Amino acid sequence: MTPAPPAALTATNVTVRYRAVPALTHVSLEARAGEFVALAGPNGSGKTSFIRAALGLVVPTEGTIAIGGVPVPELSLAARARALAWMPQEEPAGDNVSIRDYVGYGRYAHSQRFVPEGVRDREIAEQILRDFGFAGRESVGVQELSGGERQRLRLARVLAQDSPVLLLDEPTAHLDMGYQLDLLERVHGIARSQGRTVIAALHDLNLAARFADRIVVLQRGRKVADGAPAAVLSPALLRDVWGVVADLRRDERSGLPYLIPRLPVLEVVPPDRSRGLRVHVVGGGGSAAPILHALVAEGHRVSLGAVALFDTDSETAGELGIPTATELPFVPLGDEVRARNRELLQEADAVVVAPFQVGPGNVAVLDDILQVAVGKRLYLVDTGVAGRDHTGGVGTERLRALAARSVRVLDSADLLRALASASGSPAAQSDDADRGRVRPLERLEKPR
Amino acid sequence: MGGVPAGAAASPPPRSVRRRRAALLLLAAGVLLVVLSPLVGPVAIPAGTVYALLAHGPGAVGSASTCGGAAVSAGQCRIWAEIVWQTRLPAMILALCAGAILGLSGATLQGVFRNPLADPYLLGLSSGAAMGAAILFVFNVGISEAGVLLPAFAFLGGLIPGLVIFVAGRTGRRSPETLLLTGVALSALFSSFLATFLIYNPLGDLQVSFWLLGGMSDASWLRDAIVFGVVLSVGAVLSVLGRELNLLQLGEDVAQSMGVPVQRVTLVLVLLTTVGTATAVAFTGVIGFVGLVSPHIVRRIVGPDYRRVVPLAGLVGGGFLLLAWDAAQSILPPLVLPVGIPTSFVGAPFFLYLLYRRRATSMGAL
Repeated sequence: MTPAPPAALTATNVTVRYRAVPALTHVSLEARAGEFVALAGPNGSGKTSFIRAALGLVVPTEGTIAIGGVPVPELSLAARARALAWMPQEEPAGDNVSIRDYVGYGRYAHSQRFVPEGVRDREIAEQILRDFGFAGRESVGVQELSGGERQRLRLARVLAQDSPVLLLDEPTAHLDMGYQLDLLERVHGIARSQGRTVIAALHDLNLAARFADRIVVLQRGRKVADGAPAAVLSPALLRDVWGVVADLRRDERSGLPYLIPRLPVLEVVPPDRSRGLRVHVVGGGGSAAPILHALVAEGHRVSLGAVALFDTDSETAGELGIPTATELPFVPLGDEVRARNRELLQEADAVVVAPFQVGPGNVAVLDDILQVAVGKRLYLVDTGVAGRDHTGGVGTERLRALAARSVRVLDSADLLRALASASGSPAAQSDDADRGRVRPLERLEKPR
Repeated sequence: MGGVPAGAAASPPPRSVRRRRAALLLLAAGVLLVVLSPLVGPVAIPAGTVYALLAHGPGAVGSASTCGGAAVSAGQCRIWAEIVWQTRLPAMILALCAGAILGLSGATLQGVFRNPLADPYLLGLSSGAAMGAAILFVFNVGISEAGVLLPAFAFLGGLIPGLVIFVAGRTGRRSPETLLLTGVALSALFSSFLATFLIYNPLGDLQVSFWLLGGMSDASWLRDAIVFGVVLSVGAVLSVLGRELNLLQLGEDVAQSMGVPVQRVTLVLVLLTTVGTATAVAFTGVIGFVGLVSPHIVRRIVGPDYRRVVPLAGLVGGGFLLLAWDAAQSILPPLVLPVGIPTSFVGAPFFLYLLYRRRATSMGAL
């Protein structure tokens, strides 16, 4: 192993406050030469504040940020500009100057007044223009470029500053997929080939995972994770920090993690509890999910029985805040779980059996229903038992026995009607528009 | 390759051809303007005589032969020589220099505040300077005897709006309209002070009222020297700071991140603008819109680069004010109108045009 290159940027215990409001709290961070560090975190998590503090545009109330070992405030503005180049998220529209002049602006901190333009300045600018595909178009006005090209030109300007550290704030915002990849490829390549340090705030975690060497996750101004993408990105982190449920996969070609955020989590307007029934649903494998949604939306108090952890049904129940008896995946139901399930069965006014697949692991649940739910109203969501029994007959028998004592319904809508008509529940007549209505939310209420 | 990184490529695109043509046209118009302006004035002097007098130089005053023939008496010729050398020529130079200052200042203010509608008059600098100068009148100092005190007091008066817009124009992300409305409020405030001073006016001096309306009638070689000195020094510094103005267009934070000492540069620019405007106002009164119009004409021709816009806006401003001065003397002869009238005839509609065009075009984000 070669020894690690020296730290290009070192943030030590940095705290930034705007008035009294903390934007960053005790953040420490180190980025080495040639390293691409992605800053991730929800809006308002402190990514931009960190970048502004590194630039010296805001002064930390505590801690320091040093470039190559020298604290930023000790550097003159010109020295700072030669050490750090910044691409902010947004800039004023500016004037319609030529592409050539625009990239030349990046040379400001290197050039002297009264010395028009050095050979080196011109060479650097021309090289960048060639690399970025602007050769031959130097006199075109910047406002005549497309949005994607303009963003690329901004990057070119930033690179012309020729600084060892690049601070990019959402460089891919508003870009289409092609330009996002193009821009980050370039940044990635520059970090690799020129040994420059890149610190980029990125919202898109898939892009971050693909291009960054490290992902630093900020949440409400604190650093909550820092490491290689594969080590940092986990469902738990995504849930805790972003409040999203995401499937995390691994790209087989690159071996990099990527994630598919799932449907926005639902927030349930608290229903009028007095109107609903206590309904226990027995399900598994996703068979109960639509039923759970429907029941909760209607204002019933719902519980779920004997499903495996990470099962779609148990996750749905988790999202909806439904009490659930859960077992570990791929093991037969344990006594504890069965006891919990029986408890829930006993408390219920009605029991709904979702069309789940019956196997040796969960057939016992059917026994429990038959034993415990005596006198309860039973509903079998089903169109038949064919193909659902994987126990070699036991399951079919139990299902038949259940069917004999149940009201059979076709689907969740049918179920709601049956529940309402049987009990004369007010839910049947209720057309109270807002009650129990499920409202999509961007994300979960984050834990404080 | 030349020193200027302009688009002087082998086959210039049509836009640059058009621009070059416009520049030549403007230059020719400027030369014509300067050549013809000595002929303009309330007193009719034959054109040949005017040029003959000019050709003889300032010392040659008097003989009838200078004035081109026996028809003109020596006394008449002396008066004409006096008019040409002591009134018309100083007035022309004053108009050129004051206009240049206003053009330079307008371009600078538009750059500093990233606001195409900025102008020393609209931002209240001019009325602040006028109020400052008017303080002298309260203390019984007449315009003619005030000398250098006049621009000095004008500068003190101009400092107030200068500092206010320095602060108001920079803090936060204000809309461009906020800055202009601040200027409107400042103008109103200073105008009321000014009116108070003028009503009090112990000198009972009509000259003061006329000064306020704006014009070159009080021109003298001494004043020309002062204004010329200011134009050269202020103009030089402002033009040199064109690079910084260019970078400021990317936003103050970005400019600073690129190495521009934004705070200091902005302060220097606003102060120099104030000095320039104060000098112009002290000697020519309050003249609107020269600073607004000139930079826009220049941008049309050379593009948005402030390294070129600032000095050239000075040139165009000088020409514009000279033209306005000629117009002021020619519209209702033998009356001489306040020079602010023709500039406003042109400038106010232009301001409205800019305002509504600005609203119509969406601001792209770069």
